[in-house]
Amino acid sequence: MRFQLISCEVLFREMCDAVARSPHQVDVQFLSKGLHDLGGKAMRLELQKRIDGAGPCDAVLMGYALCGNGLHGLTARNAPLVAPRAHDCIALLMGSRESYAQYFEENPGTYFRSTGWLERGKGLQQLSMGKNPVGTTLSELIERYGEENGRYLFDEFTRYQQHYRQLTYIESGLEPDASFERQARGEAEEKGWAFSKLRGSLHWLRQLVNGDWPEADFLVVPPGGTMVASFDERIIRIEENTA
Amino acid sequence: MADWDRLRQAIIGGDAKTAGAVAHEAIAAGEEALPLIQKYMVPAMDEVGRLYECEEYFVPELLLSARAMKAALDPLRPLLAASGAKPAGKVVIGTVKGDLHDIGKNLVASLLEGGGFEVIDLGADVAPQKFIDAVETTGANIVALSALLTVTMPSIKTTIEALKAAGVRDRVKVMVGGAPVTQQFADQVGADAYSESATSAVTAARRLVAAG
Repeated sequence: MRFQLISCEVLFREMCDAVARSPHQVDVQFLSKGLHDLGGKAMRLELQKRIDGAGPCDAVLMGYALCGNGLHGLTARNAPLVAPRAHDCIALLMGSRESYAQYFEENPGTYFRSTGWLERGKGLQQLSMGKNPVGTTLSELIERYGEENGRYLFDEFTRYQQHYRQLTYIESGLEPDASFERQARGEAEEKGWAFSKLRGSLHWLRQLVNGDWPEADFLVVPPGGTMVASFDERIIRIEENTA
Repeated sequence: MADWDRLRQAIIGGDAKTAGAVAHEAIAAGEEALPLIQKYMVPAMDEVGRLYECEEYFVPELLLSARAMKAALDPLRPLLAASGAKPAGKVVIGTVKGDLHDIGKNLVASLLEGGGFEVIDLGADVAPQKFIDAVETTGANIVALSALLTVTMPSIKTTIEALKAAGVRDRVKVMVGGAPVTQQFADQVGADAYSESATSAVTAARRLVAAG
């Protein structure tokens, strides 16, 4: 079979590995991680454009989780549209909803990192046009808003760091060396958080590109159908009367 | 009444220092609090909201204007209290349990304060019982719940259910918001209002109070 995979670049290394091992022919488009910062609606519009422009295939695969409702309202065109039933990419990297739910419950206040989160998505500011100011540096804020206001804004935008206690690096096993882990450890230290490492799983992503889509873990939307958030344990469902 | 348009301009421009100074100046000149608020400060925040809606202002500008509003409001508060003026309503606000995101929630809290509400901010990662306790101790008439992750949105539902179980749900109006929250979700969990943006949260809160 032939699939068109539309994926967030945050999963770049994991997806490349999964695609290389797939029994199917998979065309891949990676989109900017910054899409996520534009909010659910803008993200959906861009994803829909890519779905509409996807070439002939047996299915369009979403290398995305629900991601703040970024998948809410996507419509399948000529081919079925397939997405994992996940809240966000951290669940995808951990390999299952259950592992994520359990980890989330047992480790409150955790900030996550993976290779994609460390190396992708620099310079997102242009894309989000100041809508998402998190990550703007103190000097940028001072330059734009003046000394006093700039400092105030910086404090506001970094205060969230005090709520976090831990940084967990999700290791995929594909890393060439320990440099990513070192980078994550450095970030944890700099922010005063505890460091933890977790072995992720590539299982879920491999299932996606292998065409192995059990109902419990994937939603397959037939042509013409629309995918929406279900606000329950299924996470996403097909909008009634659309397919 | 003298012309205090500088107050309006300072709030729109996000200049907290000037806003505070002009408020003090007006008090010294014998102005009353309520007319100052109604004639200059509320219209300033309305204008800020409009600029945000048409994407001339973004989150940083909103935060700066809300801060300037607060700087002007602080010296006026004792005068307001002395004149017997009551707040527009009392809001208990917080980000629900499991969710640590607070920039949006803080912004809504500031804008509600700027809109004349008394705000009790419980912070982020707030357990349902804390909301219940706060309603009981403060006699708030609105509970505002925020979540930024779809994974923590069920906590909004749990919190509303806990308010019901504790017998305080009928005493308050519940409003919900946060990036992934939708009107449909708000209906599903039985919230009284949903607000898509921080600025429309103030309008929503006013409507809830008016509806009693």
